[in-house]
Amino acid sequence: MPRVTVTVRDNGGRTATATADYTIAPPVLGGYYLAGNADPTADMAGGNIRSLTQYRSFADGYVFPGWNRPWLVDLGKAGVKINMVLELKHYGAPNTDAQTFTVDGVRYTVPAPAMTIQQRPGTTWPRAYGYSQVLAGQCDGLFARALSQYRTMGFGVNIQLASELDTDHEFGTTEAGKAYTWAESDARAVQAVTYVVNWFKARGLPAGTTFSVGLGGFDRACYQRTHPEALMAKLDFLQWNVYATDPTHTALARFRRTKDWAVADLGPVALSRPVLIAEWGVRAAEIPDQAAWIRTVPAAIATLNAERGPRIVRTNYFNSGWGTLSPKATGLAALKAAYATRPYV
Amino acid sequence: MAAPTVTAALNAAVYSPGDQMTLTVTYGDADTRPVTVTVVVTDAQGNSSAPARVTAVIDPLTVTVTDDSGRIWTKLSDNGMVAVYRAVA
Repeated sequence: MPRVTVTVRDNGGRTATATADYTIAPPVLGGYYLAGNADPTADMAGGNIRSLTQYRSFADGYVFPGWNRPWLVDLGKAGVKINMVLELKHYGAPNTDAQTFTVDGVRYTVPAPAMTIQQRPGTTWPRAYGYSQVLAGQCDGLFARALSQYRTMGFGVNIQLASELDTDHEFGTTEAGKAYTWAESDARAVQAVTYVVNWFKARGLPAGTTFSVGLGGFDRACYQRTHPEALMAKLDFLQWNVYATDPTHTALARFRRTKDWAVADLGPVALSRPVLIAEWGVRAAEIPDQAAWIRTVPAAIATLNAERGPRIVRTNYFNSGWGTLSPKATGLAALKAAYATRPYV
Repeated sequence: MAAPTVTAALNAAVYSPGDQMTLTVTYGDADTRPVTVTVVVTDAQGNSSAPARVTAVIDPLTVTVTDDSGRIWTKLSDNGMVAVYRAVA
């Protein structure tokens, strides 16, 4: 840790000395996600892209590195920091039945997922393993299977539990026929996430393993409810996602929104954690010049990190959905140019 | 003769590379006294000049800033009690 020393000397040679220590943080890691969990290696080439988000369902038999995804091992071994979003959400294929499987010689049977989430009116509600199912130990086999695969990877990752709890709970949830409000769902999720983190931490984990809980970060009360200090003491990052979906949206305002709520509402343990932006994106429908918006991001991150409060340490561009780069080449070039700029270097 | 006193405060504990860093040094010494000498010249006819003032400091202090990382600190201001320095992270 560098130290600055100040000495004051008078005419008679008497002195007084004071010191102040400081830290120079490493550069922010510029990151990426490519639609469909596709191989991003070609897109990342030559771009100072050193961080990556991936999505897996615990229901999937191949969580680490994922079915036909040997490139994830290559990227991890090359030093790319990987944020694995592991979801209780069932992605729906091939079916949502109970599963029986063997992990390291132990036979597990996991019941069918009993919860629905993302209950937006007029849509089909996705299924997920229920928070009560998790707390009852019925999903332990899923965790054992994921952990067994994770141990073969050869490096540590961040395990982000859930993608966006606020999106999952916004319209309430239902488990085994019982309906829960948004706030009730948040409280139940905190219990379930605590259970899962405890389950993993009680077992041998690859060096460098870290944990976080996933939030879109668009609702202040939900963000506060899902970040109690007791849970944050077990987690290593704060996390939220950032999207520009209106021509009036500036990078500084969009990256700042959830940070400001966190600084105002969360406790000292939570605020001691760095921030992992698992997704950020610019929606081309409203902001056709994505490249111009992307160019403003480095300065916004630098400004936020110079202010008090948790520091943003990774930002992963979501080249999918709302963030789809169109045209891709132009957007990707802007992204690489941004990641070649302070505070990313 | 009293010993001097000093405190040093940075504007942050953690900086990103390239950030502007600000160091505020507050210092003093009970012996340090600003003195103002005012000179008025009067001739035999009683005509006086306008007063001319010079200032001096008794037991002035010198402030030295070093950084074990080799970072260069540049003085921006110093009013005899508070000095502000800048460096780049």
